[in-house]
Amino acid sequence: MPIDTRAPLLAAPEHEDLRRALRRFLTSAASVTRARAHAEGEEFDRAVWLRLADELGVTGLGIPEEFGGVGFGLTEQAVVLEELGRELYGGPYLASVVLGAAALLAAGDRAAQEKLLPGIAAGETVATLAAAGVDGEWRVGGPTGVVAREREGGWVLDGSCTHVPDATVADVLLVLADTEQGRGLFVLPAGSPGLSVADLSALDQTRRFSRVELRGAAAECAGTPGDGDRVLAAVLDRAAVALGAEQLGGAARCLELAVEYAKVRHQFGEPIGRFQAIKHLCADMYLAVESSRSAVMFASRALDEETAEAGAAASLTKAWCSDAFLQCAGDAMQIHGGIGYTWECDVQLYFKRAQSSKHLFGGPAHHRDTLAARLGL
Amino acid sequence: MTDTMQYGDDAAEEFRGSVREWITENAPPELTGVFDWRTREIPGYRVEQIVEAKRHPAHVEWERRCVEGGFVCPLWPVAAGGRGWNRVQKAIFEEELHAAGVPRIDRGMGEFLVGPTIVARGTAEQQARLLPPIISGQHRYCQGFSEPEYGSDLAGLQTRGAVDGDELVVTGQKIWTSGAVDANMIFLLCRTDPAAAKHRGLTFAVAEFGPHNGFDVRPIRQMSGAYDFAEEFISGARTPLSNVIGGLGEGWSVAMTTLGLERDFNLPTLSLDFLHEFGRMADRVRESGRNSDPVVRQTLARAWSHVAIMRMFAKRLLADEEGTADMVSSTKLFWSEYHRWVSTEDLDLDGAAGMLRPAGDGYPTTPIQDSFLAARAATIYAGTSQIQRNIIAERVLGLPR
Repeated sequence: MPIDTRAPLLAAPEHEDLRRALRRFLTSAASVTRARAHAEGEEFDRAVWLRLADELGVTGLGIPEEFGGVGFGLTEQAVVLEELGRELYGGPYLASVVLGAAALLAAGDRAAQEKLLPGIAAGETVATLAAAGVDGEWRVGGPTGVVAREREGGWVLDGSCTHVPDATVADVLLVLADTEQGRGLFVLPAGSPGLSVADLSALDQTRRFSRVELRGAAAECAGTPGDGDRVLAAVLDRAAVALGAEQLGGAARCLELAVEYAKVRHQFGEPIGRFQAIKHLCADMYLAVESSRSAVMFASRALDEETAEAGAAASLTKAWCSDAFLQCAGDAMQIHGGIGYTWECDVQLYFKRAQSSKHLFGGPAHHRDTLAARLGL
Repeated sequence: MTDTMQYGDDAAEEFRGSVREWITENAPPELTGVFDWRTREIPGYRVEQIVEAKRHPAHVEWERRCVEGGFVCPLWPVAAGGRGWNRVQKAIFEEELHAAGVPRIDRGMGEFLVGPTIVARGTAEQQARLLPPIISGQHRYCQGFSEPEYGSDLAGLQTRGAVDGDELVVTGQKIWTSGAVDANMIFLLCRTDPAAAKHRGLTFAVAEFGPHNGFDVRPIRQMSGAYDFAEEFISGARTPLSNVIGGLGEGWSVAMTTLGLERDFNLPTLSLDFLHEFGRMADRVRESGRNSDPVVRQTLARAWSHVAIMRMFAKRLLADEEGTADMVSSTKLFWSEYHRWVSTEDLDLDGAAGMLRPAGDGYPTTPIQDSFLAARAATIYAGTSQIQRNIIAERVLGLPR
């Protein structure tokens, strides 16, 4: 497969403006300190979320203008996700704006889009997607735990779904469920009778996952029953790149933390950053970060422009950024020494996020195997 | 959002069309069959076969047409005999050559190191006298920087340069001289003021190269079996002072200009060659039916990932000329380490069959064995991987020296 690099490329000045504004905002209002508080039980701060939506306009970026968004693509969203990833932001950006909006757009149900997308774009509606298999893996064709039955002109859902991100703060749930015609996408509002949401204890406490139970809960079908696998495939390619961008941000921040610490921590009468053992770890982290950046740039463009290698680029990006983030978080911990292994050091939060994100939307080995298939192997 | 990059816009595509047309009209049809030119940029790749392929009449004719057409040293300024192309234009030209399966006619170190150094640091007289023979192919350069005791620590070099009237007389020893077998000119660093501090007192000069001028050249056999470089014992080699670039005692800063160029390699085309190499590896895996082996699939996915990222690095370098210095060490480290890894994986696919070589005089190897052996050079030359990591840590990340 050719690797098409003829399309124009470069971070546009507008991207850098967005990045600067977002970084300023997050550092003051939603830094990793808030992520730590969120991890230790603090409630989702809807005020910060709405400021992200209103003041910075990040929730509407990837949603078409006809549905109240700005009409940009993954290329612009990647900038946002990278910045959110730097601070381990715990809000539902991935759940609502990436998964929720992508599922609605892929399902192609005009009525559902008109009803939900403007709210998602404005940040006023928080959506999430329940589509992991019973084993927690997000995989096209995997075993789903939810069944949808037609009843009195509508649909009723039964079963359960694990690994649902940010379901406790969601206003609307999108659920992938099996029907007699095949898999389909269903929509129901939070608080529906027969719907219950329970927080799961997660290795990474900065991102909330829930188990969703459905006992005869009424839902509407978005799009066509039987079209669910195609919808999930489209969503997962976008989610892979979006999460890759978030992982890139986390990796870059770990490198910064490591380098800052190596400059001020003295041993044997000199900063440890003067030792080649430390320098070489940092240089390899830098390469991991910049190669991840190349992957994210490549894949986000490829998906936005729907090039032939878009799917391969998405798989490559999720596998690559997963490995890079864990490498950077782990090496940052190593460079911090004993303090890096403590609960109070932020590096541990990145380390847990890295391992957890590595297996969200498919682990590296899965994505490399998918990539091989997409290369015709 | 708008895009500030030229690559891929209308002007670039128009340029692409014009060079494609020229290549189609001028490339001898039989040239593509002479050698797999699409692997040529991969360092150390089957050097002896390349030398032989260049002697083929189709290549000789192609070279003549490229010189006449002004397609040699195209990045040089127009005043220096080039076309004043930017790097995007060069990348497009090379992509088109790659697509056509024909080689770019390059002048090696003369084109990439000596010429640009003379353009940056030489006088008008030196430029007029020394640049045209590089383009025509009359002057073929090798590099005389490294010495047995001074490789990564170049500034300590001991080869002496004594001024004798209007000549510089050079005595000492150089090693790891790439291209020495074929060269008739050398650019070298020598110590003209032993009393001065280490980095001062060095001088950069070009000189005629060969036994007639005091260079006793002894080819060094590489572990791959090839003779790509040599060591030289230099006894009283003479060159006019007018061949000193940048002035006596200014050699270190001139050499830094050159070494900056050395690390500014050919990533856009190199990555295309790696992609071509990947394609051959994937074909081999399919033909042997091992594409269902999960371990092999993981390996091939990793390989393609590296190449795709390399292509993106190339694009980023092309798009951002200002920030290039920061990234060149990273990309060199990236591709050289990649190639060392992938060439090992490639030979591993052969299993026990890879233990045997083709029969014949010397040390003939299969292309995969050759790649496996030659890949070890690239993590050493032009700054070892360890030196690149130091550079990244100190210059990019700001860690203390």
